[in-house]
Amino acid sequence: MLARSHAYDAPVLTGGWRGRALVLVLCVLVAGCAQRPDAAAAVTLVFKHAKILGPSDPVPALLREFERRHPGVRVQAESLSWNSDDQHQFFVINLEGRGAAFDVMMLDVVWVAEFARAGWLLDLSPWVTRAELEPHFPSTIAPATWNGRVWAMPWLMNVGILYYRADLLGKYGLTPPRTWEALVDQVVRVRAAERNPRLDGVLWQGRQYEGLTVNALEAIWANGGRMFGADGTVFPEEERAAGGLAFLRALIVSGVSPSWVTAADEELSRRHFGDGRAIFLRNWPYAMDLFQAAGSPVRGRVGMAPLPGRVGGAVSAASSGGAHLGVNRRTRHPELAVALVRFLAEAEAQKTMTVGGALNPTRMALYHDRDVVRVHPDFPLVHDLMLRARPRPVTPAYLMLSTTLQPEFSAALVGVKSPRQAIEHARLRLSYLLEGLR
Amino acid sequence: MTVRRLDDARTARVLLAPALLALAVLAAWPGLWVLWLSLQRRIPVFGIERFVGPAHYAFLAEDPRFWNAVQVTLIFTFVSVSLEFLLGLGVALGLQGQRRGRRLAVALLLLPWALPSVVTGRMFEWLYHPSAGLLNYVLGGEAINWLGEPTLALPALIAADVWRTMPFVALLCYARVLTIPPEIYEAARVDGAGAVATVRDVTLPLLRRVLLIALLFRTLDALRAFDLMFVLTGGGPANTTETLTVYAYRSLFQTLQLGFGAAIGVAVFALVMVVAWGYLKAIVHEEGATA
Repeated sequence: MLARSHAYDAPVLTGGWRGRALVLVLCVLVAGCAQRPDAAAAVTLVFKHAKILGPSDPVPALLREFERRHPGVRVQAESLSWNSDDQHQFFVINLEGRGAAFDVMMLDVVWVAEFARAGWLLDLSPWVTRAELEPHFPSTIAPATWNGRVWAMPWLMNVGILYYRADLLGKYGLTPPRTWEALVDQVVRVRAAERNPRLDGVLWQGRQYEGLTVNALEAIWANGGRMFGADGTVFPEEERAAGGLAFLRALIVSGVSPSWVTAADEELSRRHFGDGRAIFLRNWPYAMDLFQAAGSPVRGRVGMAPLPGRVGGAVSAASSGGAHLGVNRRTRHPELAVALVRFLAEAEAQKTMTVGGALNPTRMALYHDRDVVRVHPDFPLVHDLMLRARPRPVTPAYLMLSTTLQPEFSAALVGVKSPRQAIEHARLRLSYLLEGLR
Repeated sequence: MTVRRLDDARTARVLLAPALLALAVLAAWPGLWVLWLSLQRRIPVFGIERFVGPAHYAFLAEDPRFWNAVQVTLIFTFVSVSLEFLLGLGVALGLQGQRRGRRLAVALLLLPWALPSVVTGRMFEWLYHPSAGLLNYVLGGEAINWLGEPTLALPALIAADVWRTMPFVALLCYARVLTIPPEIYEAARVDGAGAVATVRDVTLPLLRRVLLIALLFRTLDALRAFDLMFVLTGGGPANTTETLTVYAYRSLFQTLQLGFGAAIGVAVFALVMVVAWGYLKAIVHEEGATA
């Protein structure tokens, strides 16, 4: 296991140290030479990352390998809580305070543009070319780049997936639905035939948090709507956006989704489906490992399919998510920090992460790698799902947008506002906020 | 005589100085800084930093989300503090009358108060779980949507808060009850007072001061309520549980509008000060009456 991390354990800075570090950095930059770590004054890189959930943590072994390749360098991994809000808060406070207590950080994809705009990230463009990003899924490249520069390397990926009860669908000769309309029909059919009042239809995440933004966006995309037009207008196809929300509301009203999805997050919905109490579930790839774990009531009975589209809308619309690696602009060892980021994003390291843990890499080729597929037989299918994924809007104002939208989406789901009203209000607030930033 | 008094005053000032200095450094300075921040539009991500005067306050005055948060905060505070007050008092009086197992009862009473609030939050998340929660099970298995229904979410949070902090009120009252000399009760009995009359005319008046202090603490805490909402509902559904501090947190740490968030913080501060001032006046009045 990882050595116990000390969240605020920054290396002590003295004037002499800072001066020496500056000289070293300048030397490295001016000479343009490769890193030349002074073995006597060993360099310590600090890597701040979210707690790696899963059966084992492959990160320490990777870092030891990096140290072996770079003599004189020590990498100290410090883990933050798994809660994304907490991580964001930690980074914001330390980066805004111009801290250099960490060099490399694991970033949620939606923060990259924000941190880049704030000047907190080192521009990786001098080291990382566009070509180096090519082997990663397209929807991970978009959030890594902003304003024509590369700010982060894709590392781990997520995609919205429709999980279905293969046994139940098979029993009634059904195949995974391609549209939400077909999904509703299947729910009605299966439930009528099963005569089980405790069997729910489709579960998703409607609690007022980031997950709601993702689910609502997917509904809006499926209905052929967008959050941003090319000219920066908010919800350019207002009717389509309202139609997406109206559909989600209808799922609840008709009982196809239980009313408590308005309080559900990933884990709440995953557990309920995992107990065998629902036919469909929208969730991320991590859930599959848990469904297939020994002792799981739905083991061997769950299938994965692309999120459905809508009749007269999009074919399928799933949001991507995941984590990127970035470098603190105030790092005292930019060359080494960039080297660490590139090392961790390499195929070899991503493979270790994937085989050793329950994580999804961003490199497309790994999903057909023989060793990986042996451990994760579903990966070729997941590959196709990830290829279709769409990133959430890439903008420095993303969190502002998302937290402004959440109450409006939530209001539409619980019926406090009509979908059209909610979209209208969201639009007004967003236009006002964005106006202030120009 | 006057020289003596002057000397006393000087000594008092010298003795008070460290306390005042500490207050100035720890309370006044950050407070003033937040006030100054609230007069600026400062969004570090976009490099925006300019003085805007009272613009944020003008916006807040017309911001429906802000007034919703004010309403939620006030309802939460009033209802949860009232319930804590009534239940806490009841428990304290019950403990007084209890003959056996008092120690055990006090220990059990302490448990909710001693739990870290995030643990409490997680626990209630499970209690309120729509399908696997104990509460719905006890109520007959109906999947009641405690945290996802606009009309139920705030009451559910209030119930959790009452469970968690009622013991505080109860223990403070109980401690005071223990110090009431038994002779007073004997005298009351001799005078022919019944149980109700004893509580009304003897116990309650003696408890008044401690109750005021307990209420002061609880009210100020409730006005700044954050953790339960944050863990259980995130302010939802449809912002029906978004308190002022949750709104401030979202503005400050999630959307990084430091000036705007500071303005909400100042509003919370003003609200807390007004309420605290009211209580302090009542307490001073009480002391004057009993001194």
